[in-house]
Amino acid sequence: MKFAALPEHIQEKALAHTVVQGMRRRPRVFVDTHDFTAIDYGDIIVVDGRYFLVIAYTREGRFGVDDQPKPWVPKVSDLASGETHIIKLVFHEQFEVSFGDYSIPCYRNPEKEARVLELVQGNPRFMQGYGVEDEAGNLVRILDLIRGWRLDKYIHRFEMGHEEYFETVVPGILREFLESIKAIMFIHSHGLRHGDIRRDHIFVEYDGTTFRWIDFDYDFYLPERPFALDVYELGSILMYLVGRGNYYPQHVQKDPAMGQKVLDKLTVDDFSLLAKNRIVNLKLLYPYIPRKLNDIFMHFAAGTPVFYDSAGELAEDLGSYL
Amino acid sequence: MASIKNILISVNESETSLKAVRYVGEMSGCLAGLHVRLLHVAPEPPPYYYLEGNSLKDYVREKEAKAEEIFRAAVKILTDSGMPQERISTRTYIAERAEAISSAILKVQKEGNYGTVVVGKRGVSKAEEFLFGSISNAVAHNCASFTVWIVA
Repeated sequence: MKFAALPEHIQEKALAHTVVQGMRRRPRVFVDTHDFTAIDYGDIIVVDGRYFLVIAYTREGRFGVDDQPKPWVPKVSDLASGETHIIKLVFHEQFEVSFGDYSIPCYRNPEKEARVLELVQGNPRFMQGYGVEDEAGNLVRILDLIRGWRLDKYIHRFEMGHEEYFETVVPGILREFLESIKAIMFIHSHGLRHGDIRRDHIFVEYDGTTFRWIDFDYDFYLPERPFALDVYELGSILMYLVGRGNYYPQHVQKDPAMGQKVLDKLTVDDFSLLAKNRIVNLKLLYPYIPRKLNDIFMHFAAGTPVFYDSAGELAEDLGSYL
Repeated sequence: MASIKNILISVNESETSLKAVRYVGEMSGCLAGLHVRLLHVAPEPPPYYYLEGNSLKDYVREKEAKAEEIFRAAVKILTDSGMPQERISTRTYIAERAEAISSAILKVQKEGNYGTVVVGKRGVSKAEEFLFGSISNAVAHNCASFTVWIVA
């Protein structure tokens, strides 16, 4: 489609946009998004009768790695309404994720993300949006922007010692996180996984109250334990929230309040079931953590006699603690 | 109450599964009147299977062919043990979306009112069991009103 073929009022809005005004060319118009690498800043994507001007690209926030731009996830402006959205274009990717000695097949699954979006329509615990095919049949997802903090950044906003953080901040965070676990239970009950549960895949709205899950396009293949990885990652976030970080022997060693005396108490059973060098027995590091809460963490330990089979079991224990 | 002589054996390509079949074959010499249903459950296809241009029909055909091989070996073990062929039947089951293999076995048990379910058990670490599951543990954990034989 040529730019001149767009409705006049859309052409006018596009030309008046600061992004387009800063360019030396007219925006190109894409009705077929399969080659997302061809779509550039200042181009227009036409889908579902809407006209989206690409104004930026989102970035992948992997921990410890410089953020990488995601060309298949442009940030766009709806030229009719002026609203900003995130658009996700089809990108099929398959890879293996290692957990200790084991590898799990993972992949991007746009169809699954579209199904989750449909299922959680109007549910405040999830990002909102919908999936729709472009003219060439590519499943585009149009997402609302969430204005808030990443959960892992949010918990570091409270400048206080750990004990005070644990006493004053953690209870509220855990109550909200319990609702996040219940939200995952809800999608599991419909046979769908989140697929990429991470501490930066919950956004805390700027009012500091509602936690929302984002990014549902990853998936994994574990036919006998279809939800195991989601459950494991929920446990990892829970421990991160309570500990205000992950703990490894080298950190304990360096911390003057812990050091060798704490390290000496650790046994292999105090480490994670899957991440062998991550400490899950947080009570050894922070003795004021109640036994009942620590017992939840120990379900994710290498030494656990019983692990959680479902998000529901985890929610039940956390609810009972709270 | 389901008859304990109405036996469902979960079979796959593993040696432990054939071990379970051998065990039932030996038991058939001691227990007259056993009826055996060999069940092969294939997991739901991985989504990337479709991206490679295959269809569900292809997957079912592939899995049924694999199951036939497994059934052939299992039936031979049972008939060599003296069990009459007409007392042996087979079924291939393709698991539905997010349906675990153990859940499928339990579903087939319920549908067929099998009094005994036989599964093989391989040794797995805790981490392996957490991620990949243990069918024998899951069946044993969820059994009600029927007997489970776990052959290791």
